Amino acid sequence: MKLSKAFPWLAAAVALAGVVFAMLPQGKVRGFAIHRYASLPVLEGGRVKPLDSVARNSLLVIRSQQSFRYEGRAISADEWLLDLLFRPQVADQQPVFVINDPDVLGLIGLKQTPDRYFSFDTLGPHLQDIQDQAMAAQSVDPKERTRFQTAVTNLYERVYLYYKLRNTMQLAGTQGLAFELQTLGTPEAAQRQADLAKLAQFRPLPPLPGQRPDAWESVGEALQKAAAGGTMHPDLPLFAQAGTAYASGDAQAFNSVTRQLESRFEAERPGAVREAGHEALFNRTEPFYLGMVIYVCALLALFISWMWKSEILQPTAFALLVAGAIVHTTGLAFRIVLQGRPPVTNLYSSAVFVGWGAVILGIVLERLYRKGFGTAVAAAAGFASLIVAQHLATDGDTMEMMRAVLDSNFWLATHVVTITIGYSGTFLAGALAIGWTFWRWIRGLSGAGDDPETGRALMDMTYGVICFALFFSFVGTVLGGIWADQSWGRFWGWDPKENGALMIVLWNAIILHARWAGYIRERGLMAMAIFGNIITSFSWFGVNLLGVGLHSYGFTTNGFTALMIFIATQVVMLGLCLFPPPMRGPGPRKA
Amino acid sequence: MTDTSLLRRLWKALGSFELTIVSLALLLALVFLCTIAQVHLGTLGAVKVYMHSVLVWWQPGTSSFSIPIFPGGTLVGAVLVVNLVVSTIQRLDFTWRKSGLWIVHVGLILLIAGKFAAGAFQIETNMAIEVGQTVNYVESPRHMELAVIDTTDPAFDDVYSVPDTLLEREGTVAIPGTPLKIRVKRFFRNATLSRLGPGDPPSMATTGVGTEVKVVEKPPVTQDNDINHTTAFIEPMAGGRDFGTWLVSTDLTTPQGFTYAGHSYRMLIRPLRIYLPYAITLKKFSHDVYPGTNIPKNFSSLIHLSNPNTHEERDVLIYMNQPLRYDGKAFYQASYGQGDRLSILQVVDNPGWLIPYISCVLVTLGLLIHFGLTLRRSMKRRQSQKKEG
Repeated sequence: MKLSKAFPWLAAAVALAGVVFAMLPQGKVRGFAIHRYASLPVLEGGRVKPLDSVARNSLLVIRSQQSFRYEGRAISADEWLLDLLFRPQVADQQPVFVINDPDVLGLIGLKQTPDRYFSFDTLGPHLQDIQDQAMAAQSVDPKERTRFQTAVTNLYERVYLYYKLRNTMQLAGTQGLAFELQTLGTPEAAQRQADLAKLAQFRPLPPLPGQRPDAWESVGEALQKAAAGGTMHPDLPLFAQAGTAYASGDAQAFNSVTRQLESRFEAERPGAVREAGHEALFNRTEPFYLGMVIYVCALLALFISWMWKSEILQPTAFALLVAGAIVHTTGLAFRIVLQGRPPVTNLYSSAVFVGWGAVILGIVLERLYRKGFGTAVAAAAGFASLIVAQHLATDGDTMEMMRAVLDSNFWLATHVVTITIGYSGTFLAGALAIGWTFWRWIRGLSGAGDDPETGRALMDMTYGVICFALFFSFVGTVLGGIWADQSWGRFWGWDPKENGALMIVLWNAIILHARWAGYIRERGLMAMAIFGNIITSFSWFGVNLLGVGLHSYGFTTNGFTALMIFIATQVVMLGLCLFPPPMRGPGPRKA
Repeated sequence: MTDTSLLRRLWKALGSFELTIVSLALLLALVFLCTIAQVHLGTLGAVKVYMHSVLVWWQPGTSSFSIPIFPGGTLVGAVLVVNLVVSTIQRLDFTWRKSGLWIVHVGLILLIAGKFAAGAFQIETNMAIEVGQTVNYVESPRHMELAVIDTTDPAFDDVYSVPDTLLEREGTVAIPGTPLKIRVKRFFRNATLSRLGPGDPPSMATTGVGTEVKVVEKPPVTQDNDINHTTAFIEPMAGGRDFGTWLVSTDLTTPQGFTYAGHSYRMLIRPLRIYLPYAITLKKFSHDVYPGTNIPKNFSSLIHLSNPNTHEERDVLIYMNQPLRYDGKAFYQASYGQGDRLSILQVVDNPGWLIPYISCVLVTLGLLIHFGLTLRRSMKRRQSQKKEG
């Protein structure tokens, strides 16, 4: 096989090999098998997950990152959490709190510096101020809060999460869990046990044989039970030994106790161990992050292909897109299996799924038309939506439990999935239209002349995708109505989210009718498709910002700015689309 | 210009694409405005202004007059239906090529008609039951009534009710089945009550607890979860004499009443009740959360349904996404309270509930057929182009 034929395959294979490499477990840190300890299952937020997920999600909430550099070394979320649990004096010095708001910095007597990260020790003297301000702000309706009030409430919640984690396995500032086991019946111990039970962020002790599968216990509860004369949870002394070993730097002892804990869990709760292991693997691989990177590579290959070695690089870009789609799809499938839910359960997963839908559609278009446009818009849409997903993930656990009213796999699988495919379609049509705009400008400015064939192909693609989007958004909207009728008796209640979906349906219907009536041609169709992006972004995110629905404020301020920036870019695109540079006569036709 | 040509032009305009696109665009704008307005008006308020209206009115500044500035949802919806029907008759021919579009448009007409029907006939009420309690009525969340209860016989109460729409007129109402008449002296859709201070003017009430109470009128609530504190000053009359002016309000819980001709009457304002020919007993209410969180996992009410007319006696479990449909009504688990001892069921009476289901199937089918046929044609065209190339 010639190199030019093999190169695209090679590129895709390298990308996939990179993903496989990411799946390999990390090595020991300072001799400690931290990744094995972090794969142990715990109960947090109503579900069983590996400690690794607790670590990553907490660090994501507190620092907006899943790892950080400190004293010239990368600290993983797992290592950070173990320090916080057993060596709080170390963790307290690490700058994990990200603070951007200048007024909040002023409150704790700090100037705005290029380094926006602060340690718990730095915040320590001001905890009372932070709490007082946050309490005052919490009495204000989230919609009405000032930027400072929102920021200080947010900081308080992060400090509280940190504080709870710090006091989950043992109380910070005491002699540790082993000491609690020795002083079980003493009068002072009762208060410490109660504090531990109250502050526990997660429950590490699995239910014993004969107990309900969700009857996990916190350290404090287990100590209280033992102090009251009940049997001691058999895993508690092991956790105490592991804590002591970790704090004293005895890696050998820590690793051997961790192995003992592993085998006990295997025997007691094999299902929980297996699932936690899978989730830890999923966390480690970060398929959506890697997918995003591969999509960027595909885009770059495509851009270069327009100037150089098109015959090799265009197929390479497509091969990379397919590799990205494989990683994206596998990640999505893995999530579905882990969670036991359809793919879309919250805003985060809707972003992942919208991108996936657009990528798959783009691949189909590329196979049909082979102009490189399908690859371009698919890679761009996949990349953009995964970026959005990354930013939405900072709310915490992306696999949180479903509230009772949403707890219906049937409706999640039908209504939510179809409506999200509708979003994908509308965005893809908008992306194609933006692609058309760029193409038109580049041709106009470079004096390449008209190319009605490509224009026609792009229009066919956009038109087809709009039909597709109308179908799915209509069906999704009506299924939503039927779900509403099933769950609270009204088919249509003019709820903001319903209205948003209806707006997408109406807009796509307007485009198609305008096209059928002949009011719009190529340029008009493209302009309307770009406006579809604005409508879809409003329906998808905008309605959550109104505060009438059910969404957290953390997203509101940042989300509002992001949405406005997105809409502004779309307005610019709309202008570029409507007023393209003049085109000089038909260019040389390709044979 | 003759009349026929004018009519023909009107007929053409009614079925035109221009009208379709303009109506759809207006509807889109209305939906957007209605969504944004919910922040301040609440869902019900915004829907009333933008959707359940012929025209959208605007009141400039502090002026007392309003001017129509935009067509309302009802008008746009009606125009769309006419446009749909007329254009379907005018343009669509009975060919296989257009069969999908036919089905889509019939389905859409049905959908919009169903929405109108729901707006006209759908009645939403609540049923609040405590564990162990038996209830044979539903209550309106929006409307109040003045209940005059004959409590003479300890075994049962005779209830006479005057709806708030009648109280609002502030006239004299005869209570059927009794010698009583009620003169409504003042009616407040919404008000706040407080203890009468030393500087305040005396209360309008001459008897009962109302003599000590100050009433301040409030604008009616717009947010969906708020309720009106409906209040009135009334004067019961019978046999040519009156029994003084009483204050009645949803906020007054003290029993108030009088005696006439050996009958004891009690008066109160409460949510409008509609009695059912059957009774529901709440046996158990469950509210589960995921362990270690406040995230609700499940709400359910185990009820006993007892209908003496049909001799039905059975238990039903109502939970999320699983309503009880009975006697033309649907009972949904809506809310809860009093430390999980009170279950609130939403009760919806909508004779047209099946219409959206049918229209959904029709439109989906129609779109599938239409886009499927279009796709097949386009594929054929591309293939023939390839052969030529």
